[in-house]
Amino acid sequence: MNSESMNRSSSDNKHGRINEIIEKTGSAINGGRYPLEIMNNSDLYPLELRRIFGQAWVYMGHVSEFEEPGDYARRYIGEDPFILTRDENGELHAFLDSCMHRGAQFCTAENGNTSHFRCPYHGWTYKNDGTLQGMPHMSEAYQDLDDEEITLEEACLETYRGLIFGRIAEEGPSLEAYLGDFTWYLDVLFGATEAGMTVVGEPHRWESSHDWKTSADNFSGDSYHVLTTHQAGLETETFSKDPWEELDDFPAASYLACTDRHSIGYYLSEDGETFMGYPEEITDYLNPELSAEQRELFGRSVFHFGSVFPNMSLIHGIQSGGWGGPWACIRKWNPRGPGTTETTSWWLVPKEFADDESFLSDSHRGWESLSPGGAFESDDLTIWEGISNSSGAVTHELRDTRGNMQQGMGEMTDEVDTIEDPLHGPADVTSKGLYFDERNSRTILQSWYEMMSETSKSDNDPEMEAEP
Amino acid sequence: MSSLSVTETATPVDPETQHSIEQFLYREADLLDGFELEEWLTLLDEDIQLEVPIRVARHPGSERPEFSETTNYLKEDYEMLRERVGRLEKEYAWSENPRSRIRHVIGNVRVIESTDTELTVANNQHVFRSYGDTADHDLLSAQRHTVLRRPDEDGDGFSIGHRTVYLDHTILNTKNLTLPLL
Repeated sequence: MNSESMNRSSSDNKHGRINEIIEKTGSAINGGRYPLEIMNNSDLYPLELRRIFGQAWVYMGHVSEFEEPGDYARRYIGEDPFILTRDENGELHAFLDSCMHRGAQFCTAENGNTSHFRCPYHGWTYKNDGTLQGMPHMSEAYQDLDDEEITLEEACLETYRGLIFGRIAEEGPSLEAYLGDFTWYLDVLFGATEAGMTVVGEPHRWESSHDWKTSADNFSGDSYHVLTTHQAGLETETFSKDPWEELDDFPAASYLACTDRHSIGYYLSEDGETFMGYPEEITDYLNPELSAEQRELFGRSVFHFGSVFPNMSLIHGIQSGGWGGPWACIRKWNPRGPGTTETTSWWLVPKEFADDESFLSDSHRGWESLSPGGAFESDDLTIWEGISNSSGAVTHELRDTRGNMQQGMGEMTDEVDTIEDPLHGPADVTSKGLYFDERNSRTILQSWYEMMSETSKSDNDPEMEAEP
Repeated sequence: MSSLSVTETATPVDPETQHSIEQFLYREADLLDGFELEEWLTLLDEDIQLEVPIRVARHPGSERPEFSETTNYLKEDYEMLRERVGRLEKEYAWSENPRSRIRHVIGNVRVIESTDTELTVANNQHVFRSYGDTADHDLLSAQRHTVLRRPDEDGDGFSIGHRTVYLDHTILNTKNLTLPLL
């Protein structure tokens, strides 16, 4: 940017203003503060799509949804529509839904099975490995076409424990490097049994006026909100068949584990036989690949929830109070504009239980309890929409209003203890951290800052190139 | 089931029966719109199943079902419905505090199956919802299939034995599916 010009263009001003917001967020995090305006900001949003969703590993699907060659589903990285599919040789691909002729879209369904994709505009047809099969009048119209060169734009894909992640940027860290120490926890959540997890049925999907960062933050380890937001759900008498007993001292049994980018919280029982409330046979299915500590953690597990930056969240366990379960859930917070998110929520169970009707019935109920129809999440959504609404306030911009995530800092509490125990894996872990330590929020926001900051870029981001 | 088989062949019934079915559905809709949910519960049989299956955007000719056979937004028995009603009565049920302004418009009421004891009734509906201090509103469109049990000798009206709500949405456009929206 040329700052010497006397006539700074409006895009220069905008550039300066955006960088100012990003940098002041970066410097506020260590003090446990952040500008409230970032949760719904039309200037930041296009940059989030480029600098975060254009660069990060983004969750796209689970291998169990793509077991047969030709299985496909429409999935998004940021707002870009991709088609995730398994080709005839068994390889997974994610193609941008955009024909290489004129850019028309050719995927008209949410999911299905097909060996070819045919563009409805002029009929260019691609195999499900992304190569060009042909087009109408190829021999008359394209006698000198290098058809080997024409392949669909394809995202980088890597999988971990059945979780498929895609990345738009061609260069970057491997998925395992990006997930870092968080893989230890993904092993427990998605690799506890030998056969692994499987997606059941179709996901819940809904669009709501909340920012993707708000829900990623909530799921990263916020139990502090439960007593207020979900008071109605907690006070409601449940009449279920198999109520899960309340833990004796709920906050004491809770832990917050943050890695450099991602964060997870969980509740453990004192004895080693909880297994998230799974039927007893679970002990026959345990995955020998897990370490002794991972197996013990799973054995004592009640409920886990966490976020993989940027927009994947996960749940695995059983809720107290008789709201069904156990179940696992993968969330994806698809950005749909500043302050707007389309959520997809998949239900997963260990493959070993996938045909057990009575188990599935309880598990569906658990999954449903955290959904737009559920007893808990309906209250979250109402509140998150309010955050989005107020975060767009001019007052926040003009007065530089700061939100607070200071729990667990300095002398703020003597309730939270640092846990040094291999049982809890390689992350930084605190007891009661889910209630009295907001490292989860600071971790997620720090990940946001590191990808958004220009100072960590070498680049020539087109959005930031001020054209005179 | 496919989207098209929702509109199965109507079974002819006498005008009096058609009238009483429609009146029952209208009265029920008023109870839902007014959040008179304890009263609404009295219309349900204790073996009720209420299902709202997930709908998926499908390519024509797809072998996969348009309405999921395994996953639902809601799949409730009587006890779960009682829990939901109890929950909504709590002061801290933020999702409905203040209450949404809800209005059912019910039409296309047809009997699609009839026995001595039960009638299966299809109806279309548009449910309007507005909430809070805003001019915005949501509109949920659906077709319901309801099994109405005929009153016994000393009974005073139909009761609801089963209901499936087939939404016209593959992505919900409202912040939650509170009971009165169904």
